[in-house]
Amino acid sequence: MSAVYIHATGDHYAPYDAANTDLKQDVTAAVGQPVRRIGRFIQLALIGAGRCAQAAPLAADTAVYFGSARGDLEISIEVMQTLFRDGHAPKPLSFINTVSNAACFYIAQTLKLNGRSSFVCNRYFAFESVLQLAMLDINSNAVAAALVGTVDAVVPPLEDHRIRLELPPETPVADASHWIGLRATPPHDKPLQLLAVENFSDSQALIAWLGSQPLDRCLLSGGQFLTETELQALATHCTASERFEYRDRAYYDSQSGAVIGEFVRNPACANRQLLHINRDPSGRYAVMWVGNPNISSS
Amino acid sequence: MTDVSIGGAGLHTTLGRGLAANLAALDHPPTAPKLHAVELAGVEHALPYFLLADEPLRHIEQRFYDSIDTVVDDALTQSRLSSADRHATALFIGSSCGEMPVLEAEYRRDLQISRDALAMASTSSLGNLATRIRKRFALQGPDYSFYTACTASANALGYAAQMIRAGRIRHAVVLGVEIFNAVTAFGFSGLQLLTRDVMRPFDRRRAGLVPGEAIAAIVLTGEPHKGGWRILGGANLCDTHSISATNPDGSAIAAVVRQALAVSGVTLEELAAVKMHGTASLLNDEAEAAGIKLLFETPPPLCALKPYLGHTFGACGLAELALFCGRVSRGTLPATAGICAGDSDLNITLNQTSRPQSPGYFMLNYFGFGGSNTSLIVSNRS
Repeated sequence: MSAVYIHATGDHYAPYDAANTDLKQDVTAAVGQPVRRIGRFIQLALIGAGRCAQAAPLAADTAVYFGSARGDLEISIEVMQTLFRDGHAPKPLSFINTVSNAACFYIAQTLKLNGRSSFVCNRYFAFESVLQLAMLDINSNAVAAALVGTVDAVVPPLEDHRIRLELPPETPVADASHWIGLRATPPHDKPLQLLAVENFSDSQALIAWLGSQPLDRCLLSGGQFLTETELQALATHCTASERFEYRDRAYYDSQSGAVIGEFVRNPACANRQLLHINRDPSGRYAVMWVGNPNISSS
Repeated sequence: MTDVSIGGAGLHTTLGRGLAANLAALDHPPTAPKLHAVELAGVEHALPYFLLADEPLRHIEQRFYDSIDTVVDDALTQSRLSSADRHATALFIGSSCGEMPVLEAEYRRDLQISRDALAMASTSSLGNLATRIRKRFALQGPDYSFYTACTASANALGYAAQMIRAGRIRHAVVLGVEIFNAVTAFGFSGLQLLTRDVMRPFDRRRAGLVPGEAIAAIVLTGEPHKGGWRILGGANLCDTHSISATNPDGSAIAAVVRQALAVSGVTLEELAAVKMHGTASLLNDEAEAAGIKLLFETPPPLCALKPYLGHTFGACGLAELALFCGRVSRGTLPATAGICAGDSDLNITLNQTSRPQSPGYFMLNYFGFGGSNTSLIVSNRS
């Protein structure tokens, strides 16, 4: 079974600012060329994925795993308004871009990739879900390199956006695009591995797993849907006790996508591992574990 | 490595409710679609569509959820999973419409009250359908909703099988959903891809596609099912030639087929038959025919199912798999008499008669918008 190494990360996070929504320059800077006739969701995808590719070049057969909680809301709303409010058929390109994997297509075309391509949605574990599929493919040697990420785009007006996301009024919201580059071969400098991405049906299954893993060099971080109280309770069931905090940010659905990049870039974490735990309202859990596997025994 | 078998199936299409009714309908020739009146800004438009059998287009929300529940229930009942097994069962959905029919109905209703009504006001997460089905059937395993256009449920099936093979899960419910919605109907109409005639893939007379509704559910299991169908493997690759059409030289199709065969440990020569994607649109058929020519000197028997079902988009991966496997289990290959009978300008001939079909290795191909190409390899050899 092939190990999975983290080669690069690429991120974009911006609390929504109505006076500064134009992303064209960021797209051009990230991918080296302007990309026309695309909406903000696809622009954000290109910014994050492009930055990841700048950090470590991607082989042509790199597979794209795109996770999302809601897909491209902006284009879906536009097409529905055009149809039902204005009474016109959607423009051909608008309709084609309602296909969620249109964003995967633009990433592959712009970064010149021809590997696998998956657009997968999950309401609470968007990033964890695609990371798991990428790990599955690399572990089984079906894929040698993967680009994995999530995108969240604010669709103004803000009060409408908050209604769609079921958020209280005045909740700060953000655009975000988080990507990591994975390969079956180690990088030259920092051999950071994706050690596990696991799902658990309930807390008992999670606690049993936590108790069976060598997590003594792990920093522990909680997902946005896990309460602080529950994270503290879970910490008592494993040897990881120190915390890694990344959650001080405006709301978007896929914040788990940010944690690996934050961990990798933090020099204080150089000799540590990271265990990230998230949960959904039905009591399921998802865990991501990254780090140098030799650290825990040193 | 664990074998992956089909442990149960449910199917509802325009051909009928239940797998048996669908298979029986394959004994009759494909028909032209009915036209359905769809109102837009006070004007009625007649659009061709193959609707679910015995499910008139009314009470949209209830129709949507009840129809899905029935099909999933059929598959789970057949699979005889215990309640403990169900608790850990994963859910894989493949769809291109998701809950769009429900969102459309809500928005239309809200617009009657105010022109400022909010589109996609509720259920704006593409993961919400999975959440609802998991709750309804007490499935507490992980869920993955694939939105890769016409390859969605084929990709969902491929990853479910891969997870079982790797020992990460024991059972999975795989669900393909495509239900009437105006965005799809008017979108394809605007692209001038619809026909009001019988769908005739690869035929000189091909004139476009007919959208179709389908709900298909399959329970995949890592436990052996003697004499049943096994999912051997598959592949998907992104073709960046165009967002709306596969590379017409066939190279992208040949590449994904070769990868699917390699993953599955099957050779081209071992294939007993191929289920074509066959959308009866000019560009797709041309590319698929070119792919077949690149791969085979003499291809095995080829068949297509969209003349019967219509193009069921995100659901076609699973709906066509269920129909294909069901038909071959009964000893014959699906046939489309009179469609692409040998005089195709694309040099493709589709199977014309209910020829006997022995157990063997079979390939099912799917190609979609967004450059998504997928090929699956299945077998009923013991």
